[in-house]
Amino acid sequence: MRKALISLFVAAGLLVAFTAGCKDRGNEAGGGTTGENVNLGLFVSTTGAIATFGLDTKNGAEIAVAEINEAGGIKGKKINMVFYDTESKAESAGNAATKLATQDKVLVAMGAVASGLSLAAAPVFQANKIPMVSPSSTNPTVTEQGDYIFRICYLDDFQGGACAVFAYKDLGKRKAAILANRDDAYSTGLANFFKSKFTALGGQIVTEQTYAANTSDFNTQVSNIKGSGADIIFAPVYYTDMSLIAKQVKAQGINVPMLGGDGWESDKLVPEAGDALEGSYFGNHYSQEDKAENVQNFVKKYTDKHGKAPTSLAALGYDVVYFVKQAIEQAGEFDRAKVRDAMAGIKDFKGVTGTFSIDSKRNARKPISMLQIKGARFLPVRQIKPEEVE
Amino acid sequence: MLLAQATPGSFDTLLQQLGNGIAMGSVYALIAVGYTMVYGVLQLINFAHGEVYMLGAYYSYWPARWLGYVPDAGEKPSVPLYIVGLLFVAAMSACALTGMLIERLAYRPLRKASRLAALITAIGVSLLLQNLAQMAFSADPRGYPQLVQQTSVQLGPIALANTKLIIIAVAAIMMTGLHLFVQHTRPGSAMRAVSFDMRTARLMGVNVNRTIAMTFAIGSIMAAVAGMLVAMDQPRLTPMMGLMAGLKAFVAAVLGGIGSIPGAALGGLLLGVLEALVGWQKPEYTEAVAFAVLIVVLLVKPTGLLGKTGREKV
Repeated sequence: MRKALISLFVAAGLLVAFTAGCKDRGNEAGGGTTGENVNLGLFVSTTGAIATFGLDTKNGAEIAVAEINEAGGIKGKKINMVFYDTESKAESAGNAATKLATQDKVLVAMGAVASGLSLAAAPVFQANKIPMVSPSSTNPTVTEQGDYIFRICYLDDFQGGACAVFAYKDLGKRKAAILANRDDAYSTGLANFFKSKFTALGGQIVTEQTYAANTSDFNTQVSNIKGSGADIIFAPVYYTDMSLIAKQVKAQGINVPMLGGDGWESDKLVPEAGDALEGSYFGNHYSQEDKAENVQNFVKKYTDKHGKAPTSLAALGYDVVYFVKQAIEQAGEFDRAKVRDAMAGIKDFKGVTGTFSIDSKRNARKPISMLQIKGARFLPVRQIKPEEVE
Repeated sequence: MLLAQATPGSFDTLLQQLGNGIAMGSVYALIAVGYTMVYGVLQLINFAHGEVYMLGAYYSYWPARWLGYVPDAGEKPSVPLYIVGLLFVAAMSACALTGMLIERLAYRPLRKASRLAALITAIGVSLLLQNLAQMAFSADPRGYPQLVQQTSVQLGPIALANTKLIIIAVAAIMMTGLHLFVQHTRPGSAMRAVSFDMRTARLMGVNVNRTIAMTFAIGSIMAAVAGMLVAMDQPRLTPMMGLMAGLKAFVAAVLGGIGSIPGAALGGLLLGVLEALVGWQKPEYTEAVAFAVLIVVLLVKPTGLLGKTGREKV
């Protein structure tokens, strides 16, 4: 009996040990171009902790590829997208980069979403002189890895500063409370950038509260914010924490608007927060409600195909493919060095996430969309341009 | 602008933090009795107890989902009161079974082995349950149905969520009930007898195995209630939610005097209030409070506040 029990436990333990996910193998492909195709790499995480971000990005990119191929491809060649799942792990991103560079020999690589994964892949592409464009890594160090590394999203310093400008100038707030996740560089980074801009404008940070990762009871911090007399709460955290925070803020009878960054964006935010976030604001890469024709076309196509509106990660995934297309067309030939030079010189690219230019540090200079939560919708309030924050 | 604004140092904030602390402490107390009762009868620290608390939340989540009260998005339907009651009963029974199963499979075979072997097994069971839960429920955080519409209740200067008041009330009732059960019923006397001296209790005709199983069942029921109450207040379930809660409740049990049920209640409340007070002045140190308390108690008064200074049962 005891032996049977022990073997049962051992068996259960082994089962737990073998929980590695399946790998998604990329397609076979040759050099930068093969015959009628131009090979572009895409590496994002479609499994693991941040799988939804990667899946959205991939879905957005696939729509762009289908559109471009339908319209005749890039300079007569169809896009062959070579995809690797980076499994939310830095090692996998490094491996995917090596495969894309040496085995698939892609012309340009697109990825990754998380900055940590982009940082693992960038040195490989830099060493092989293959242009890499991250759709959505916001950490400043990503593009500092070399002159072949680009990104098409805004950076955290701009995002934090823009939120401060919005709170001070548009909402007329002077006393801000900050609530950040101290174990998350994204959260503390945004909090610091907000703080320096808000105080530079003349506002006052009345209290700075932080919490540890995996906290679900924020009442201690919320009570301190309540006692501080803040007229706005800046909470640069992810949506899973935000819905709990919002409910606890409301339960303590605090009635000031809350403000956050792109980490709030999720179709789960409002269902989980209930009406606790009604009227609050957050900064995002784009707005689904943007009336511009290219945005509405994309939103409609995406919604028809996937049954839900595209997130900003999907929009950035869509934009990154068109960005690469424009770079290749401006370069005039399928040559990596020339494509790189063309990328560095792109001005006024019109994407669904706004019109942007590439600056001298290979980052995108683009506006942030400030959105207000009304019911289950995120309505655009206004765009803040980089000039307003600098 | 001209009105005097309250500062974080003000008296109202202090009262508010005390309210937060009592609510938090009530949860610690409910979990801590599980540690303390098992320690009382077996001198075993059941580290898997935090996972039973986690399972309590999930055990009520799945039937609620099955009944259609957990939509993936959109309007949340309101839940009738009898369904809430049934969910509590479901979670409590399932946790009682889980607790008894853990005892039967993992601890009973080791009852005569060294205490260290049993302790290591307890850590193993804890890890096993965490990982099984991740496989079964996935690591993604899950929302929780709104069993009670959350509102803000104003008590003088203190504003607390109604779910927090429910936590405090239910915990007080459960703890009092448990105390009466242990002190004034025959099964309660059996538990005390086994805790006092297992061999003599057996000679006196107490069914020791059944009494120990019952101890695990009761501790698990309290944890199930805590898990569900917390899920109602903070609707986010993860397979790892039992880890920190379990550790802190363990500290609460040690603080109150491990083995003592009133001690667990007192330790839980004290720890909750202490955390809130530290969080009031220095929010970055809240997570460290429990561990600092553990070190201090073990150094200064290892038996805890209400623990018996008695013979060492090694």
